[in-house]
Amino acid sequence: MKNIYKTLFITLFSSLSLGSCTGIDDLQDDPNRALEVPPELLLTQLETRAFNTISLSAALATRQLVFTDGVNSDQYYNWQRSGFNAYEDLKQVQQMVLEAERTEMPAYKSLARFFRSYFITGLTRTFGDVPYTEAILATEGNFAPAYDTQKDIYLSVLNELKTASEELAENGDNIRGDVIYTGDALLWRKLINSYYLRVLLSLSNKTGDADLNIVQRFREVVNNPGTYPVLASAEDNGVLPFHNIEGNRYPLFQNNGLQTAYYMEKTFVDRLKTLQDPRLFSFAQRTPKAVQQNMEVTDFEAYNGLSGSAPLDENVDIAGNGDASMINERYYKEAANEPGILISYAELQFILAEAAYRGWISKDADTFYKNGIKASMEFYNIAEEDINTYLENPAVQLGENAIENILTQKHIAMFMNTGWQIFFEQRRTGYPEFDVSGGGVLNNGRIPKRWMYPAKELTQNRANVDAAIERQFPEGDDINAEMWLVKKE
Amino acid sequence: MKYYFIVLLLSITPRLFAQHEVSGKVTDADGIPLGGVNISVPRTSLGSVTDFDGFYTIQATSAQDSLTFSYIGFKTQTIPIAGKNQLNVVLSEDTEQLKEVVVTALGIKKETKALGYAVQEVQGASLEKAKEPNFISALSGKVAGLNIKNSTDLFQNPEISLRGESPLLVIDGIPDRTTDLWKVNADDIESISVLKGATASALYGSVGRNGAIMITTKKGKEGKITVNFNNSTMFQPSFIRVPKVQTTYGNGDNGNYAYVNGGGGGSEGGGWIWGPKLDQPDPSTPSGYMETPQYNSPINPETGERIPIPYISRGKNNIENFFRTGLVQTNNLSIDWGNDKANYRISLSNVYQKGIVPNTDLNNTSFSIGGTITPSDKFKVASTLTYNKQYTNNFPAVGYGPTNYLYNLVLWTGTDVDVRDLRNYWKEEQEGYQQRHYNTSWYNNPYFQAYEYLQGYDKDNLFGNLAAEYRLLPEITLKARAGANVYGLQRTYKEPKSYVGYNEKSLGNFTVQNTNYFDITTDFGIRFEKDLTENISLSGEAAYSGYYRIQNFHSTSTDGLNVPGFYNLDNNAGTTLIGENREEKEAIHSIYGFVDLGFYDAFYLSITARNDKVSTLAKGYNSFFYPSVSGSVVVSNLTEMPDWISFAKIRGSWSRVSDGKIEDIDGLNANNPYNYIQAYDKGQPWSNAEGIRYPSSQYGRLLISDALKPKTSDSWEIGTDIRFFRNRLGIDIAYYQAKDYNNLENIPISDASGYQGYLLNGNVYKRKGIEFTVNATPVRNENFRWDTQVNFSQYRRYIDEIYGDKEYTEDRLKAGDRTDKLNNVSVYQTDGLGNIIYENGFPVTDPYGRYVGYTEPDWTYGFSNTFNYKNFTLSVLFDGRIGGLMYSSTNQKMWWGGISPGTVNQYRDDANNGESTYTGQGVKVVSGDVTYDSNGNITGDTRQYAPNDIPVNYISFMKTTSNAHNENYHYYSQTFIKLRELSLTYNVPETLVAKTPFNAMSVSFVGRNLWLSSKIPNVDPDPGKDNLQAPSTRSLGFNFNLKF
Repeated sequence: MKNIYKTLFITLFSSLSLGSCTGIDDLQDDPNRALEVPPELLLTQLETRAFNTISLSAALATRQLVFTDGVNSDQYYNWQRSGFNAYEDLKQVQQMVLEAERTEMPAYKSLARFFRSYFITGLTRTFGDVPYTEAILATEGNFAPAYDTQKDIYLSVLNELKTASEELAENGDNIRGDVIYTGDALLWRKLINSYYLRVLLSLSNKTGDADLNIVQRFREVVNNPGTYPVLASAEDNGVLPFHNIEGNRYPLFQNNGLQTAYYMEKTFVDRLKTLQDPRLFSFAQRTPKAVQQNMEVTDFEAYNGLSGSAPLDENVDIAGNGDASMINERYYKEAANEPGILISYAELQFILAEAAYRGWISKDADTFYKNGIKASMEFYNIAEEDINTYLENPAVQLGENAIENILTQKHIAMFMNTGWQIFFEQRRTGYPEFDVSGGGVLNNGRIPKRWMYPAKELTQNRANVDAAIERQFPEGDDINAEMWLVKKE
Repeated sequence: MKYYFIVLLLSITPRLFAQHEVSGKVTDADGIPLGGVNISVPRTSLGSVTDFDGFYTIQATSAQDSLTFSYIGFKTQTIPIAGKNQLNVVLSEDTEQLKEVVVTALGIKKETKALGYAVQEVQGASLEKAKEPNFISALSGKVAGLNIKNSTDLFQNPEISLRGESPLLVIDGIPDRTTDLWKVNADDIESISVLKGATASALYGSVGRNGAIMITTKKGKEGKITVNFNNSTMFQPSFIRVPKVQTTYGNGDNGNYAYVNGGGGGSEGGGWIWGPKLDQPDPSTPSGYMETPQYNSPINPETGERIPIPYISRGKNNIENFFRTGLVQTNNLSIDWGNDKANYRISLSNVYQKGIVPNTDLNNTSFSIGGTITPSDKFKVASTLTYNKQYTNNFPAVGYGPTNYLYNLVLWTGTDVDVRDLRNYWKEEQEGYQQRHYNTSWYNNPYFQAYEYLQGYDKDNLFGNLAAEYRLLPEITLKARAGANVYGLQRTYKEPKSYVGYNEKSLGNFTVQNTNYFDITTDFGIRFEKDLTENISLSGEAAYSGYYRIQNFHSTSTDGLNVPGFYNLDNNAGTTLIGENREEKEAIHSIYGFVDLGFYDAFYLSITARNDKVSTLAKGYNSFFYPSVSGSVVVSNLTEMPDWISFAKIRGSWSRVSDGKIEDIDGLNANNPYNYIQAYDKGQPWSNAEGIRYPSSQYGRLLISDALKPKTSDSWEIGTDIRFFRNRLGIDIAYYQAKDYNNLENIPISDASGYQGYLLNGNVYKRKGIEFTVNATPVRNENFRWDTQVNFSQYRRYIDEIYGDKEYTEDRLKAGDRTDKLNNVSVYQTDGLGNIIYENGFPVTDPYGRYVGYTEPDWTYGFSNTFNYKNFTLSVLFDGRIGGLMYSSTNQKMWWGGISPGTVNQYRDDANNGESTYTGQGVKVVSGDVTYDSNGNITGDTRQYAPNDIPVNYISFMKTTSNAHNENYHYYSQTFIKLRELSLTYNVPETLVAKTPFNAMSVSFVGRNLWLSSKIPNVDPDPGKDNLQAPSTRSLGFNFNLKF
């Protein structure tokens, strides 16, 4: 009898022990994630980040749209801090470099030079000095990188972009994972060289700086189209297509806010009306009153905006009375709508027009200017005869206020695309004028010149951010302070 | 059906064998009758219990038997019947050796006097009457240091913290790492032991580092077969707290309202409740009231336009009209039987819960079997197995947003809308495609939400354990035990077309998610037990433990639906289905042991040690050792104590527990065993212009150290347990401190370094707390007994060292600060005297976060009373919290949206008339400037102020500020007191029961959540947070208990 229980116990004992046989070491590989990936997987990710440039905030800050659900800091110019999220993108660039080296695919390293330049430029123009040479070195133990001066960053960016374009002429025959140009290296070189010209123009306050040598660099590209091809037509535009697929849709598709609380800005609408610009019909809806009165879509009088600088309640009242135009329905009803633009042929033409007008290159500014307008209008599917009529409009001619006119056209062409680019163009040139005349504007009626550094830098990288603030801004980390880029030399 | 079953069981009741009847009365030394004394006949299954007056009757097999009388706190006596029919017994109190036992780690029963740490026990019987949908909620206010924050929503877990941390749940000695609070039915619970602190549960290893809630399920009892039927029905007929809203103004903006299509801009599309005054007389209209087109206006067939209808406050009772009476109905039938060789119990339970939201419910059914066989005195096997099914076709979504019922019904619906008019929820001729509501941009029609947006949940749980013991030698026992948890969970999400999500309208979608889970814990040990001398006892155990888990998750969703209302993946409108899957495996191998020593019944010492090897840290860092030691001294056994001190004990413990799992880190999957591995995550796939689809990857947002060690807590605790006046008064005090170091934490680093944070062993925290429990029996006499318990506790956590010698953490805490300090709250600038600074009439945001208070309550308390009068028992439990702040979304949004009663004032009328008359109280800057250092300290200030005199539009002001500066930025005190439980039980006297087929009957009237008084308005602070919770309901009902 006794032995039966012993046997029973041992049987139970051994059957239970089956449950605990799994070795620890066998369970230490993550079946859900990869330790290494081909660089193309990172390229796709970077492209969807860099080219997805739709920003409602930028539209509010650049007097294209108005918000009526509260006092918005972008619209009323009392914003404070911005973020360092772009360093996350810069890390993915760094990973693409590592994976390109591992797999010996140098084209991705060259593309990485472009993306690195693109993201760091976005950071430095927002804040001023930012970490660059010491950035993305956490894996080497640098958790609090020093800040580089803005000038050094721009110098580096200019060289990197040039190198990227030159290298891709040699190594660019095997680019996969490319949702922008499907691996066409020539198109990438065109995009990079055009972007290079954009960066050079953004330094127009620094023409006297011998280190940068902006004008010479600009000429080098324009005068050597064989070595430095640029975007030749709207076909070459650097754009991210949106699709009716989950995650790939136009970012504002089905957006509730856009349908209920955003209106066209008055100075913008009035400008389009003055210029008799048919792009208005593609940007905006008629006012509810105009719809009620059965006014034509092509009747400029059917459109009206809200003043971006007026007090909130005034705007709410006008909108409530049906006297304000909303954005065109396609922005929230069409899943693909229009692509996200990083840089377009139209913008390049405006860049060249301005450079020609400034005498950087000896070409005809007016031709570039009109090419730019034409390309932009074609982007919005304006009929050719309407384009021609528009181009003949005396108010549209380049004339004496050439810079203002070019920037005004750039502002129109960049409606709801190209991110914050037009804000920085306006900061550089003062054109087009952003209205601050109304009683609603905060920040003492000024347009901020920058953003404050992220609060996290104050806790995690204080010595370096303090040093950067001190050497740049005697008034402290202030949104109205002027960074190197903005100062005329 | 159940009834027949009972009758069948009745017919086999083995009552017929009894031959000799004995009756009598049991009293204590003072002659006070003792109710509930157990009487048994040794070596038989016969038994009885005294009634409240101390009387008993028992059928013995013969006049030569003996009777054993046992009662907690009294010495057990065995008395021969010796032929008598009348046997009155006086039990003497067991004052010198109070044999209270509690269940401790690994299910080992220990005498409380031997414990060097705090344990508090709750009897299952106290959970039986006033039923909560899950047993954890029923523990509210009953255990010092155990803080339960109950959700007001259906099928939402209460938040449990024990000494501020999340405790382990243990069922019959087996850790339940699935932490499913719904799978154990309260009727199956024999007792719950709450083991506080790390020492108590060091033997479970890392998972037990925060203490444990140990559930012992009911087993068969020695004695005759018993059938127990328990029914409890609780209704939720009314609310103890609902948001109180204004009914003066309706939907609209800036005082205007005219319905166009519910989706556009203007005065209706934004969905504000800043509209015109309701119920305004207007003699020019047919109704005599102001009229405007509304969503339910009739349409003029000639013009196609909406006919204006009166703008009046129809919807004053929307809450009462929409929500229905909730119901929780619990039925349990159990049968148990046993003798000295074997016992067995079967239990069948069902909990049906009908939600207060229409078309929501929850079914929770359990079937469990369990028993023990002891074929010889050397061998014993015990096992239990439970099958549990949790099932609902729809339970409400929670959280702030358009999925929330209060959001759609109260917060963002003016009283011009009567919810009863929304019952028909499809737009005419657009059934299936477009819901009908007064605003279709931001909100869902609550009926549409209830009947069309369906969240299904179907979980099958199977869990059980098997434990065997074999006594090799008199002192040595071999032990083996295994427990497994298995579940399959299917969740479905049915989202109709036109459903409003937070920022966009749905194209209709269907999602299916499946989880398969299995874990097993096995222990093999050898136990040694010996009294070395008469005064020295020794016991100990050495064991191996293995844990293994595998879990698979899979989710598939459509990308829009083709046919509305047809929820099948085949109905996908997109080019591809969206899927995700994940597999997780982990294991822990451990060796552990303990030694318990006792000297002279007065000194006790216990030492534990454990070594774990885990799969959740990298090789080389994944094996680690940790010990504990605890002891107690029973002072009352050492020296002569005054008469009025019946028992006195002091205790103390120290423990170290290490944990090798990276748990809840922002940016990582919670509970993922592979979190220590740096790898690529999935990115957003994208298609090129030709439609060719590319996958993508992104490298993780955290840098992960490749030398991660386990996190470790060292804690110590002292306590005392003193009882006075023959145990009529007892006081238990515990004080503890813990130091948490090597924490596996996401240490923020500069974003510019490429990573948001560095996952490493960093930061040091200190925790401390104090707990008091006072038990008393102020009155005990022949007919009346009053027992009372008061408990209160305080918990604090401090950051001791900040990793990397940084001055501040991301939350702007300095070393030494409490971690619940709110020191980084976005506030408005002040002039240094507390006056808000305005610009253009609007307050100016401070670019630096500031201090507003602390979130942790100062005290958490419970106060329970039980009054027994003859056959009646009245239980009353109050509990609550004192101090601590919580953020309230409900209150903030009420001010923001215009529904707060505080917005009814002249300024609002003025704003409606287009006048800007509201001047915020504070100052404006007339000259000068301010500079800050990077910590936000003012370094230079030349500002000159004048009183703010710029009037602004009141509505614009509220839409911009939510009145935050006048409401402590919507952080409100949690202080509250709640009448948690009230029950009145009538135990039918035996004399009456004897005339029925039953052995015992009781009926109770019970109420839970009956009354609340709190500082915070509009919401019940019980959940400790407010992200727009369901209104808090009152539960009333009754309970029947029948024993055969």
